[in-house]
Formats: sequence, structure tokens, C-alpha cells
Amino acid sequence: MSGAARVGLTIDGRPVEAAAGASVLKAAEAAGIAIPHFCYHPGLEIEGNCRMCLVEIEGYPKLELSCSTVVREGMIVRTSTDRVRAARKDVLEFLLAEHPLDCPICDKAGECLLQDHYGLHGRYAGRMAEVRERREKKIPIGRGLILDRERCVLCTRCVRFLRQVTRTGELGVFERAVGSELGLAEGRPVDNDYSGNLVDICPVGAITSEDFRFRTRAWFLDRRPSVCPRCARGCAVVVESVTGYPLAAGERRVYRVTAGVNPAVNGHWICDLGREGRREIDEGRLGAVLRKGVREPGLAWPGAVAGIAAAVRSVPAAERPGGVAVVLNARLTSEELALARELFVAGLGLRNVFFAGLKPGRADGLLLTAERMPNGRGVLEAGLSPRPPALEALAAARVLIVFGPYLTEHFEAGALGRALAAVPAKFLVSAHAGPLDRLFDAVLPVTVPAEKAGTYTNIDGLRQGFSRAVEPAPGVVPEGAVLARLARSLGLDIGDADAR
Amino acid sequence: MPVSPNGLEVLVRRYRGRRRALIQVLQDIHDRYRWLPPEALERVAEALGVPLVQVYGVATFYKSFSLTPRGRHVCTVCLGTACHVRGGAAVLEEFERRLGIAAGRTTSDGRHTLERVNCLGACALAPLVVVDGHYHGQMTPVKVGAVLAAAAKDEAA
Ligand code: SF4
Ligand code: FES
Ligand code: FES
Repeated sequence: MSGAARVGLTIDGRPVEAAAGASVLKAAEAAGIAIPHFCYHPGLEIEGNCRMCLVEIEGYPKLELSCSTVVREGMIVRTSTDRVRAARKDVLEFLLAEHPLDCPICDKAGECLLQDHYGLHGRYAGRMAEVRERREKKIPIGRGLILDRERCVLCTRCVRFLRQVTRTGELGVFERAVGSELGLAEGRPVDNDYSGNLVDICPVGAITSEDFRFRTRAWFLDRRPSVCPRCARGCAVVVESVTGYPLAAGERRVYRVTAGVNPAVNGHWICDLGREGRREIDEGRLGAVLRKGVREPGLAWPGAVAGIAAAVRSVPAAERPGGVAVVLNARLTSEELALARELFVAGLGLRNVFFAGLKPGRADGLLLTAERMPNGRGVLEAGLSPRPPALEALAAARVLIVFGPYLTEHFEAGALGRALAAVPAKFLVSAHAGPLDRLFDAVLPVTVPAEKAGTYTNIDGLRQGFSRAVEPAPGVVPEGAVLARLARSLGLDIGDADAR
Repeated sequence: MPVSPNGLEVLVRRYRGRRRALIQVLQDIHDRYRWLPPEALERVAEALGVPLVQVYGVATFYKSFSLTPRGRHVCTVCLGTACHVRGGAAVLEEFERRLGIAAGRTTSDGRHTLERVNCLGACALAPLVVVDGHYHGQMTPVKVGAVLAAAAKDEAA
């Protein structure tokens, strides 16, 4: 930012500096002064249609839109004079005049700008004697999204998102005045891989998601940031879960994954694949150690690690480099990869350290990368080489340790089964149950990325640290803990053995 | 006039790629066909490079565009504030009675379309009616018959 011209102005009596060309609203926000708004969204072009952001600027006869007024040197702005407050109240009264006020059954309740603004700036008694306009309340608009035309405040955030970001342009505003409403062209529903962002950016409950509707309340959710592990972009996400009390069987823990804000990576958006990542946090998880595919009561992960260590020790040190094979994956954090290198390459001197992973997909030119593992760059940075597994090398091993369920991505089931059958001792470390489970002597349950802390290096080489966003189930630990304990059991004093 | 791909092409061609020309091209099409056929809207969206819903947005916003075929005679009755207070509603009612259709409709023989608008910008003439582009100021229900007859004569001539 150095070199960019700065402008000095006064907002609510406080001297404020802003970049030349910034809006008054942005300058105020940067100074910690919130100005209520609906249509303004930092990731979209300004439209200035909701009139909620009015402020007083000295020298201007009328109230001005702070979202579209550019800062000038010496400007004096007031954001909470009686005049401004009265105007906000009036704008809200107009918006609410045609609003159904169905907050008790609205999914946006608790995170709705209309509710927030009413609480802070409205607070008038309803004067609407006329019957409210009735509109359609449950229109499927594609991709599991539901439109409620009564709740829509016509801010056009959704319309602008689809025109400016995805460039698919599915939604538009039709008709005029009281008849204005949001609509699709016939037979052309919303159909793009960033559709979930519409739910995030709709300031009210007009666009909701079938996956989330009527399942919980926004205020029950614990929102913690993480980095999306579903491709190599490393978008900021927010994992929203309920914690703190035992869940009934089948009840959700993670209710949704929403977009986090990271100007350096994803701005304000994430793709639908990342959003669907909520499923892999909760669904199909391994909750206990398995032996030959069945739950082994009384065997916890440290016991299982002791089993791996014993198997490794049973191979004479001189034969280990070829006799012990390991398959890692690029979902491991950089810290875990460093540990794995110390243990398997430097410590045990293994020749056969492979990497398995999801097959690449198609890059979409926006955020989603072809690479579907999050830390491929981290593998290189850790000094490991991302060699794909060789079936003969796996079959020839006396001890095989596999991290992640990805071998099925590389080999056809029959061939893989035959190769594994030839290995006397084999262990799988995985977050999810899968077809491989019964082929291994033991399966250790580990965390998914949202349940751990660490670092991923994204496709552009940006290192991003993240912390734990959801608590793992008891007995489920990060791969890092497994690696550290295994190293200790083998008498190797490496890294930081603290299982985070 | 039937809509043909070639006819549309001629109208749309000179605006190709010019997003800002949206209203102009819609007006040209409307002048020619007296309505905006769906295939025309699709063609416009494609040629100008704007989303189809945006074309629909503009087409539904302006009262001067029709998305259904219009009759050979278009009767527009103003019910803006000035016309309303000076009796525009009674004039509209008389049109509805004589033509046997509600405002916004076209007679089944395709002869007349009846429309209501909010202010034509000539309030001094209130109540105002426009039939086939001819302005009839200071209208009363009694004059409706004569106005319609004049339009019919134009057609015969
Ligand atoms: S649906 Fe939501 S985002 Fe779209 S215009 Fe209505 S209020 Fe705004
Ligand atoms: S935020 Fe400024 S007009 Fe909507
Ligand atoms: S109100 Fe009818 S012309 Fe203005």
C-alpha cells in the first residue's frame, strides 16, 4: 500500500485516514465506525440501491450515500446525528412495510442484517394498516437454493454476484416498484459451482440452502476459521458446528462450512465443493481402532501404535530401508510432513516413501484448482518427493504403513487386494471408514483437517497456518500424534513429540 | 408480423456487443413487431453479451414494452396522479366496457390492446388517452366511442 495516496477526513469527530478513492463507508469501517447497509458488499461493485447507509457530510445539503461517496481531503462526516438516525429509521420502515416478519421460522434469524439494523436503528412501532403484498415463499432456484420473495429486500447482491463473479447471470430483477421481484429466466436455474455464496451474501433470509434450512439456529453455532482442504487453493473457510453437549445419534455436528475472508486467496467466496466439505467432517468417520475391519474394544490408538512399532522392530535394522514401506498424503500438515520425514526418511532410512491422493479434477478458472490435495507444495517444502505408490514395492514390503484412504484412487480393487494380501504386517491410518479397512491388520482413526492445527502451503506458495475448528471425537487424534508416538516407541528422539 | 431469424438479425446486427444499447435494440424490435417475442430477447442477450435475465429485467421494467403480442390498435389510458383525479378511471372503464377486455389485455380478434400507464408527461391535457400514437386530451367516457371509431377509420383508409 505504500505510495498510495492517503486522504485525511473527520468522521464523527475523529480524524481518519483512508486511501484515495475509498468510499466513506469503507473509511468509517476501517476506523471502527460501522455504518448500517444492505446492498453494499465488499466483494461486489457498488450499486447504492438500499439507502440504508445515509450519512451527513458537511457542505452537502442532503444526506449522502456513504457506500458510493468517495472520501475527499478535509471532509467532515457524521454518522449518527438525529437527522441520520431518523433517515435510517424511515428506510427501515419502508423495507419492513412489505416484509413478512416471519423471523421465528426464518433460517437467517440471528444473522440477518434486517434484524440487526432494526434492533439498533429501527425500534418503531409498526404503522402498517394495509395488507402486505403476498409473494411466493418457496421457489427452488437451483443447486438446493430456495428463494423467498417476501423476504427479499431487492439489494441485488445476488444478482451482482452472478454477473460479476461467476459471470453466469442467472438471477435478475423483473418488473418495477411494488411489483419488483427477483427471478430466473424460464428453465434456467442457478447452476454454477459457486452457488452457495448466494446464501452467505443475501443479507436477509431470502435465499436459503436446503442443506441448512430448518436444522438449527444460527446462534447455536460455534464459528471457527480453518483452511479448506479440498483443493490446493487453500481458501479461508468458517466451520460452523455445535459443540458442548453430546449429540444424539445421527445428529449433525458441523452444520455448514461457509466462506471465510482472505483477500490474499479467496476474497469473500468459496466454491460449492469446499462448502460440501462439511459432510466429510461428520460423515463416514472412523471412531475407534479396527482390527481386520472390525471394532476392537479396549484397543485405543496408543496400543495400536505400539503394534506398528513392534512390527517395524521385527524387521532387522539393515533390512528396513526396503522392508518397511510408507504411503503418505498431501492432506498432512507441513508440521506432520516434517515429522514423517524425520521418522521415515532420516530416522529409519526408508527407500519406499510414497504419496497417494485424490485424482486431479478440473480447474475452473476461479478458485478451484485441478489438484485436489491441499498441501502438495508443503510436501516439496518438507524435502519429500511426491512419488506415486508402486504396487510391486508395496507388495514386497514386510511392513506397510498407509496414511489416508487414497490407494483406491491409484489401483483397481482386485490388484490392490492381491498386493496387500502379500504383506505380512500392514496398518492404515485414516479419518474415514472405507473399503480398505478390512484389508489391514489395524486401522487407526485420525482427525480431518478441520479438527487439527497446522500449516498448508497453497498452490501459489502461500503458507497458511490454521487452528482447530472442531473438537475431534474422544480417541481420535491428528496424524502428527501418531507419528510422534511411533517415533518415540522406536526410540527416535525427533521433533516435538507433543500431540497437538 | 411474423418473427423470422433473418428479420431479427437485421435489427440486432448493428448493436452487437454493445451492452449499453439494450434499450435501443428493444425499442427497434418493439417498433417492428409491436411486442417483444421471447426468441428476440434471447437473440438480444446473445448479441449484446448481457444475461438473459437482464434483458427481461429491462423489458418488464418499462411499460412501453410488451411481452405479449399486441393488437393492431393500442389504446393507452393514463392513470397518473393528474389524470386520476380528473376522471381517468371512468375513461378506462368505458374502454374496458366497449372493448370487452380488462386493462393489459388484447381482444381475441387481435384488433385492440388496452393499456394503463402512470403519467405520460402531459398532465395539462388530463385525463389523457393515446390511441395509435394520437393524443386525445380532456377525455371523457362519452368521447371514447368517437376515438375508437376514428381509429377504425384509419385502418379502413
Ligand atoms: S434475494 Fe437476498 S441478496 Fe438477492 S436481492 Fe433479495 S435480499 Fe438481496
Ligand atoms: S449500502 Fe449504500 S445504498 Fe445500500
Ligand atoms: S398524469 Fe396523466 S399525463 Fe401526467
